[in-house]
Amino acid sequence: MNVTLAVKQYVSKMIENSGPGMKVLLMDKETTSIVSVVYTQSEILQKEVYLFERIDSQNRDSMKHLKAICFLRPTKENVENLIQELRRPKYSVYFIYFSNVISKSEIKALAEADEQEVVAEVQEFYGDFVALNPHLFSLNLQGVSRGRSWEPSILPRATQGLTSVLLALKKCPMIRYQLSSDMSKRLAECVKQIITKEYELFDFRKTEVPPLLLILDRSDDAITPLLNQWTYQAMVHELLGLNNNRIDLSRVPGISKDLREVVLSAENDEFYANNLYLNFGEIGTNIKNLMEDFQKKKPKGQQKLESISDMKAFVDNYPQFKKMSGTVSKHVTVVGELSRLVSERCLMEVSEVEQELACQNDHSNAQQNVRRLLQNPRLAEVDAVRLVMLYALRYERHSNSILPSLLDELQRKGVSERYRKMVQSMVEYGGKRVRGSDLITPTDAVAITKQFFKGLKGVENVYAQHQPLLHETLDQLIKGKLKDSQFPYLGPNALRDRPQDIIVFMIGGATYEEALTVYNLNRTMPGVRIVLGGTTIHNTKSGGLAGKEADP
Amino acid sequence: MASGYPPSLEGPVEVKEGFLCPLCLKDLQSFYQLQDHYEEEHSEDVRHVPGQLKSLVQKVKKAKDKLLKQDGDDRNESSYESFYCGGVDPYMWEPQELGATRSHLDIFKKHRAARIDHYVIEANKRIIRLEKLTSFDRTNMDAGKIRAMEKSVVSWVNDSDVPFCPDCGGKFNIRNRRHHCRLCGSIMCSKCMEFIPLPVAYKLTSGTREALCVPAGSPGQTQPPGAAGPAGQPASRRGSITSLSSVSSVLEEKDDDRIRCCRHCMDALLKQQEKLEEKDHVPDIVKLYEKLRLCMDQVNKKAPEYIRMAESLNAGETAYNLDIAGGLRTEVQKYYELIDALSKKILTLGMKEDPQPHPKTLQLQRMVRYTATLFIQEKLLGLMSLPTKEKYEELKEKWKEEQERRLQQERQAASEAQKRRSELEKNRPRLAANGDARPARITKGVGWLPSSDAVHRGGGELDDPLLQQISNIESFLRQARAAGRLDEVATLEDNLRQLLDEYDLQQTSHAILLSQQLAQEESLQQEPRQRSRNPGFAVQGGEDGDDDDEEQQRDVRSKHSESPKMQTLAIKSFPPLGESPPTTDAPSLNPFDEEDSTPLEEERSNPFTEEIQKEQASATPRDKREYNPFEEEEDASTWEVGANPFEEDDDDDEEDDDEFGTGNPFQEGPGHAHTASTNPFDDDNDASVSYEVIEEELLLQQIDNIRAYIFDAKRSGRSDEVELLAENLRDLQRTLQEQKRKPR
Repeated sequence: MNVTLAVKQYVSKMIENSGPGMKVLLMDKETTSIVSVVYTQSEILQKEVYLFERIDSQNRDSMKHLKAICFLRPTKENVENLIQELRRPKYSVYFIYFSNVISKSEIKALAEADEQEVVAEVQEFYGDFVALNPHLFSLNLQGVSRGRSWEPSILPRATQGLTSVLLALKKCPMIRYQLSSDMSKRLAECVKQIITKEYELFDFRKTEVPPLLLILDRSDDAITPLLNQWTYQAMVHELLGLNNNRIDLSRVPGISKDLREVVLSAENDEFYANNLYLNFGEIGTNIKNLMEDFQKKKPKGQQKLESISDMKAFVDNYPQFKKMSGTVSKHVTVVGELSRLVSERCLMEVSEVEQELACQNDHSNAQQNVRRLLQNPRLAEVDAVRLVMLYALRYERHSNSILPSLLDELQRKGVSERYRKMVQSMVEYGGKRVRGSDLITPTDAVAITKQFFKGLKGVENVYAQHQPLLHETLDQLIKGKLKDSQFPYLGPNALRDRPQDIIVFMIGGATYEEALTVYNLNRTMPGVRIVLGGTTIHNTKSGGLAGKEADP
Repeated sequence: MASGYPPSLEGPVEVKEGFLCPLCLKDLQSFYQLQDHYEEEHSEDVRHVPGQLKSLVQKVKKAKDKLLKQDGDDRNESSYESFYCGGVDPYMWEPQELGATRSHLDIFKKHRAARIDHYVIEANKRIIRLEKLTSFDRTNMDAGKIRAMEKSVVSWVNDSDVPFCPDCGGKFNIRNRRHHCRLCGSIMCSKCMEFIPLPVAYKLTSGTREALCVPAGSPGQTQPPGAAGPAGQPASRRGSITSLSSVSSVLEEKDDDRIRCCRHCMDALLKQQEKLEEKDHVPDIVKLYEKLRLCMDQVNKKAPEYIRMAESLNAGETAYNLDIAGGLRTEVQKYYELIDALSKKILTLGMKEDPQPHPKTLQLQRMVRYTATLFIQEKLLGLMSLPTKEKYEELKEKWKEEQERRLQQERQAASEAQKRRSELEKNRPRLAANGDARPARITKGVGWLPSSDAVHRGGGELDDPLLQQISNIESFLRQARAAGRLDEVATLEDNLRQLLDEYDLQQTSHAILLSQQLAQEESLQQEPRQRSRNPGFAVQGGEDGDDDDEEQQRDVRSKHSESPKMQTLAIKSFPPLGESPPTTDAPSLNPFDEEDSTPLEEERSNPFTEEIQKEQASATPRDKREYNPFEEEEDASTWEVGANPFEEDDDDDEEDDDEFGTGNPFQEGPGHAHTASTNPFDDDNDASVSYEVIEEELLLQQIDNIRAYIFDAKRSGRSDEVELLAENLRDLQRTLQEQKRKPR
């Protein structure tokens, strides 16, 4: 149940199969991100893969001394490109791997193109998803819905992605879906169809308790993607944009050249792995520790370094040292930039109000706070819109709703028409009318007691009061209490025991906050293993986009 | 801050420290060795543990930083606790097999085979025809004759059947005339026609000709084989008969050095030619690359061997010969140089040629070079240096001394242990009489060394068959090393390790038994005690049951959580300090006597063995210093803190005499509290590092860095980089000066 490992093993196997010698990896756009998220360049270089090429790139030279490993999605264009490639092979041998099920007729077409007998392997390796963390994957699909139903071109891709996850993890699950969402049902049916059709593939060793696939719809919880997050990974994604574990720092003022784009991968960066889910305050301390650690490792007595033997001693420790200095400067830069943005955009205040909006039920207080913040000239456009969206979602039906005046306020602030429209479409996307489970009310009673409880100890963290709906859903699921009426099984069979292996898929995209929730559940619930996936991974910007999609 | 709290009393507490393995309590001498140890001994947890160690290091440092903000401190502790307790981190999920796969190779091959058969037949036909076409002497024949010959090879398509050029669709007429492909007989227009130059044709057919008939000269020959093949002769004769009928031939130019053919045949032939060329041709880059990989393999084989030698030599052991190691080092270094040179050569391949190679070729070369650089960086720079001859002698001396001292300690400890035991017996009645007037103390022990195991042993240890075995193997090991038989050394080392483990285990179980006995005895004497024990870092407290002590204990506990020093010690502990002694008098006497309680600790908790205790305490720190070279100067102060400030006893007189300050566990509390404040962790700059300091440190750091880079650059002869770096260095130094001038 580790998606990162699953993809990594696939790639390693491909490389291993091709034997020794210089190799080139031929990929398409999507497989490029699938591979690059789990493998770093230096790692893959060590396995003698020296070139990375796009199958559709015209600028490739014939290099008969290279072996080609092709990892491609089984799309029409790819097959066509591959046929052309095989007619005039540029490399000596081809090892072909498709990331999903490919039709017999396409195999035939390829075989007939291989007149020079350069193909040594044709396989399906089901790495058709982007594995961001061991328990988190994304399909990198944008604009999945048209109104309340699937964008027709996206549904097959989502089905492929999801089935490939099942195959990579060797799970043949029972399926539950969210009844209130047609999209969930459609996807569930499509997945089921594939499982039935490819029953030979899904013939895995039976486990005592069958795995479970739960398909949810983002529109049921539109609030979570709107909240500012304070864990390291989520913040990086929110404020800097984490794309396949890469962040672009080129906009950071005064950035040095080699830090323009940095990779944050828990696989290779221990500091990141340890701090992924810690909050910003803790990161601050840890980064300081990292620096101290770093300083400790430096040779004592700088003056003495003049002598040759000192230098030698220094160089003896050099590789670890250099690696460490890379890590230090990377994280110092990232954290520095984060804190700059936080203070520049008053995110602490914004977040406090957001959390209050999401978790408390005090309208007059909330509207005052929102108003006050909107007056703040330093408030960024996105944050302002987000606040109003939250307000709109939260107090949608409130009798004294001040939404119109807030919208006026936005206009005065000079927020663009496009953004202002989004508020309305967000309500349409994730408003009460749409929601299957009640996002806000039932938690209120609990929230109040919690508040009271916290009052005694002091609120633990004002910025992390909100628990995504997913937590509740999964908690019930694990305890076997999730209602069949809201989340029915597809097909006649129902799970009698409590589920152990759970794959959750969020149509419309998951968030890093939910990833954290799943991570914590994995840790606190022994025997339960959960993997979370989404059509994409949201930050608030793309959360806003989801709202836009609802706009016809 | 520790010194800020009133000194308090405390039960005898034993603190173990050093780089203890949290699972087996073995003392490793450094963090790295501890890590290695983990990888070897507890490989199931390997992935888990380095992270834990790391985070613990961080945790402790954090605690130190946050000392002044007590609550923040607590929060951190708890957050780490939650980080490692219960549940399973997704990173540690059990190993996973490769996901599902499905192979289509069989179907693929089936379809391909069908296609290839056809393709191969066509190709063979083409070659045979080409061979026939080249088998007669063209230069001495007139065009008509040639044409007739050619026509005999393959049946030509009827002119009337093809009104348009099949390739370009142009209509044939008197101007746009029909041409026949000599290989397949098809028709095309002149624009679509291709020519095979004769040399190419010879080359293509050379293989078949050699295989089919008499050797026809070297491949690629230019001499037209007039009487080359027997197949050629009858054809030419036949050709001459039919030649007269050809009228149109006069209009065509004579093909004496080329053969007409269609595009498709030309294509296929060219592909075939390409293939032929590739077969024999090995590009330079491949040759160089193969050599490069060979060198890398050699390094991968030899470097670990060398590192093992160098480590042993640097520790002053006599297992390996310095010269042999030196030889190996030069050998490995030679390989590195070779790798460097080869990869450089690969990098510059074809650079001087005109036109420049394809950008992708250049990229490939760059990547190979980059990989080689990475390889060198990772492996070569990790090669530790060897000691010089003189230094080695020194080291050897040291090592010997150390060994001797260890031996002595063992003996001493053995006799002490005996003495203690007898004293224990003596004291017991008295203890029962006035249990409450017991002096309490803290003692700090050393890390868990095999030798300190010996300390814990009673007399007569030589009778132990295991020990004999161990010493036997040790001597074998020495011999094997002297003989330079590396693989044997490895197996022996393995054996030895197993034996030692076994022995440890035995001792531990022995200890458990003993401690249980003692516990029982003591419980009979209604002496409620409590101890706690954390793996790796043990805080053992035995305490009197009366109320005063209870309170003191509580004080001590608070001190525990506050004292930065204690936090530092916690480095070696996994469970946080919060789990140390429960405040209430736990009637359960040995909550911790599972696997790690040892007789020594048992005995130490006995308050009536002052003498021994003193000796031991002063002996142990020394011991510790030796085995923790990484602790450096902090050690002394460490011991100072270890010296117990919570004593009520009156042995102050010894306080200052003791080199390590710990020696005496019976000192007056207040006096000690002051001593403890000299602890660098307490309140000096470490805890309250100002940002300027860090900045300065960072600068210094940077300067170091750059120096190293310069060094590196010089070594590899990149003079331009050296210049650049030197400039940087000057800049930084200037900044540093300015920084220093500023008042802090």
